This record gives sequence, structure tokens and C-alpha cells, in this order.
Amino acid sequence: MSGGAELGFTEHLFKVLVIGDHKVGKTSFVKRYVKNQFYEELKTTIGVDFSMKVIDWDSHTRVRLQLWDIAGQERLRGLNRVFFKRSSGALVVYDMTNGSTLDGALNWKHELDSQVMLKNGRPIPAVLLANKCDETKVCRRNASLLEKLCQEKGFIGWFQTSAKENINVDEAAKFLVKHILQNNEESVKEEEQNMQINLKQQSKSNSTCC
Amino acid sequence: MYRDENADIPPDVLRQREAKWLDMLNSWDKWMAKKHKKVKLRCQKGIPPSLRGRAWLYLSGGKVKKEQNQGKFQELDSQPGDPKWLDVIEKDLHRQFPFHEMFVARGGHGQQDLFRVLKAYTLHRPEEGYCQAQAPIAAVLLMHMPAEDAFWGLVQICEKYLPGYYSAGLEAIQLDGEILFALLKRVSPVAHRHLKKYKIDPILYMTEWFMCAFSRTLPWASVLRVWDMFFCEGVKIIFRVGLVLLKCMLGSQEKLKACQGQYETMELLRSIEPQYMQEAFLVQEVSSTHTLMSLLPPLQLFISYYFTCLST
Repeated sequence: MSGGAELGFTEHLFKVLVIGDHKVGKTSFVKRYVKNQFYEELKTTIGVDFSMKVIDWDSHTRVRLQLWDIAGQERLRGLNRVFFKRSSGALVVYDMTNGSTLDGALNWKHELDSQVMLKNGRPIPAVLLANKCDETKVCRRNASLLEKLCQEKGFIGWFQTSAKENINVDEAAKFLVKHILQNNEESVKEEEQNMQINLKQQSKSNSTCC
Repeated sequence: MYRDENADIPPDVLRQREAKWLDMLNSWDKWMAKKHKKVKLRCQKGIPPSLRGRAWLYLSGGKVKKEQNQGKFQELDSQPGDPKWLDVIEKDLHRQFPFHEMFVARGGHGQQDLFRVLKAYTLHRPEEGYCQAQAPIAAVLLMHMPAEDAFWGLVQICEKYLPGYYSAGLEAIQLDGEILFALLKRVSPVAHRHLKKYKIDPILYMTEWFMCAFSRTLPWASVLRVWDMFFCEGVKIIFRVGLVLLKCMLGSQEKLKACQGQYETMELLRSIEPQYMQEAFLVQEVSSTHTLMSLLPPLQLFISYYFTCLST
């Protein structure tokens, strides 16, 4: 999903899903990240909401991040198949003050992995967000549990975040983008290698043919 | 924000309309049986605000349901309800029309009634439970009628007007998305081609439109006018509004120049130009696209047959 390079400047377009149970703060997270604002009262998301964040990653890279904020209610999951298509990464959110939403987040991760993957067959990078950390604290035991969960379930990492107090919002997104960019580079390299192999094979077959 | 559309109508015209509607409501069965066309026309012109709640309940058949099931709502209302649903409903109460005076106060009357109506529905249809898109529907009803009436209005919308929209699996809404797209090909080939080119699944733009019957999309005066027609003529009104909006926003090459891409197009459809949603324009357009809707029943049959083939 990367744009063309011009004078060494590359622009990438990535689709990132924001998923997790109902009312864990997905929309608030997105609003904070994109607009740096927090709203106490937000409408429930029905279907999907979109936002765009443009990041000047470094002097020669720009990233356009499409954030797909997807309705959390169990009932509305029948539509996920459509929403998940062609996504490059995911932020999987749970609410630290509501333990059952962590199980929910793991379910979401599972569903994600069963529906999308990278070209090489690996899961797309996903970060686990322990949101609403302003309302409670992660104790050491929790931290090691989350660490373990990340390894077991294939998250690339976890952050405790607060959309309300603007804690770790940018950091978590940056972490994800870094991985997406790495994956992107790798897949470009892989493609180039494949292409070279194809070319070699072609020239071989050509030579035998002549 | 929730200004009524009738503010622009001269008071004597409004009073005349009220008299006509009162007359209709008082001999409703006769009107529906013999002069349905006239009722339809009057719904297109807009139901007077003072009688809107009553008219909606009559039009939907909620009134009859209520009379056939006397005491039912009270019975459901007195039951505790399934905690699984109550939890989700409670979280949604303050997220419906948060700027409307009725729903502004946490735990206020509006939110309490909303809770009662939605809870009663989960008890009425335990196998269906609660879907978040039902909350705005119930909230709009509650702005016009007491809780018991709103409950029967909701029952009618969920079972008669938009059957299956809120059920697990959400097949009905996906089916109607396909139908909308197929109809669009006739109404605006340009818009159809554009959406196809960028692989924009109907689910991406029509879910909220249809599931909430445009209550979260249109300006308030237009919501009321669309609902007046919707209660009289059914789901085809929702289709027509959707088609009009798509045609207006994506119907010419000039407009499409600015939205070359999936995201750009979806952005455009989320910020529909106000002139296309303005009540007079919209009602005019919606009532003039009707010839095409004769295609709706055969298409529905065809596509549901197609879906059945896919799933077997």
C-alpha cells in the first residue's frame, strides 16, 4: 500500500483497524490521536467511522494512516469481514476497569488473524491497548500477565493508554506504524527477490530454449 | 438543532392540516381502506407536529398491536430483564441524541424511558435481544410518544418495517446493501461505476443510514419528514433516500474528480452537502424516484435467492 517515490520521498498509505469490545474507548482514542481532543459524550458507532492521520515520519517518508474505528457490539460483528479487508495493522483496545473486555480483546485478535494476514502469511501487526489507565493502575502482576498474553496471542506489544489524559496515545500508534513500515520494507524486498528469481528462471528457460 | 420543520408553514395552513389529520385519525380504518392514496399524499406533505406521534403509531399498526396486547408492556416493564442485555443498554443510554433536551440529563426521564423500552423489547424477543442501532430508533419514537406507545412502534419497526436488521448475523442489512447497489445502477450508472471501481462495499456507507433509518444522518426536520413517509410507505422510502443521496453526491464526473479513492469517497459520503439533505429538496426527490421502486420486490427475491444459493 505504498505510494511512488519521488526524489527519494516516499508516501505510504496504511489502513489501521481500531477494534475491541463495546465502550472500551475506541472512538475516544481515535479522536484524541487525530484531533487531540476528548469528548465525554460520544455517539455509539454503528458500522464504521473513518479518520485520517498524516505523519511526517522522517525527512523522506510520509505516512497517511486511515483509522477504521469499528462498532464494538457483538451483534454488529457480522460486518467485520467487510471492514477487515486489506488492513495493514490493528489497535486492539480493552478497558482496564472492565476485566471482561480483555477477553473480548483476545477474541477480536483471534477474529482478526482468521480474516487477514500479510502477504507472507504472518498475522498483521496488532498492538494491545489497556485503555482508561487514568482510572486505575497496572500493577506489576498485571504487567507480566499482559506481557505473557502478547507473546501467546501474537501482539507486537502492549501499552497502557488514556485517551482522556492523553497518555501513550501517540507512542502506541507510533510503535504500530514502525512495525507496519518494517513489514512493508520486508515485503518489498521479498517481492524484489521473487522478481529476480523469476527473471533468472526466465533467462534460464530462455537460454535453454535458444 | 431540533427545530421543527413546520416553523415555516403559515399558522392557518397548519391548522387546516391538523383538522384534516384529526378527521383521518378519528375514522382511521375507513381512510386506510378507501383513501390510502390520500393518506400517502398527506404523509408526503408532512404530518403536523402536534399529531405526529399519534399518526406514526396508527400508520405503523403499533396502535392495533397495543390494543391486542393490553397490559403486555406493563408486564414486561415490571420484569428485571437479562443482565447481559441490561449492561449493554445502560452503557448506551447517554449516547443517543446527547444534545436533545429529553436525553441530555443522565438518568433523566428520557434516558429512563429509553431503558424501559429497550429492555421490554429484549424480554419481548429474548432470542433477538438488543442491537445498538435500535437505541436511536427508540429515542426518536420517545420524542413523540409515551414509553408504551414507543415500545409498540419499535416492535413494528423491528418486525414489520425492517425485519432482520437487528438480528444476529446481520444478513438482512447486507442483503439490502446489495439491493441498494443494484438499484443504483439504474438510478445513477456513474455513481455505481465509481463505487464499484474503488471496491466500496455498500456496508461501508449504508449501515448507519438504514439501521437507524437516517435518524443520525439527516438534519432534524428532514428526519421527521422521511419518517412520516417511511411509516406510510415502508422501507422503500429508506432505499429512495439512499439513492437520492448517492446520486447527488456521486452522480457526475465533475463531482468524482475530487474523490478518486476509497477513503476519499467514503469521506464524501459522510459529509453530504446540506442542500441535498434539506427537507423540501429531499422530499421532492424521494417522491419522484418512485417509478423505479417497482423493481424492488423482484430484486429482493432475486438477491435473497442468490444469497441462499451461496450459503448452501
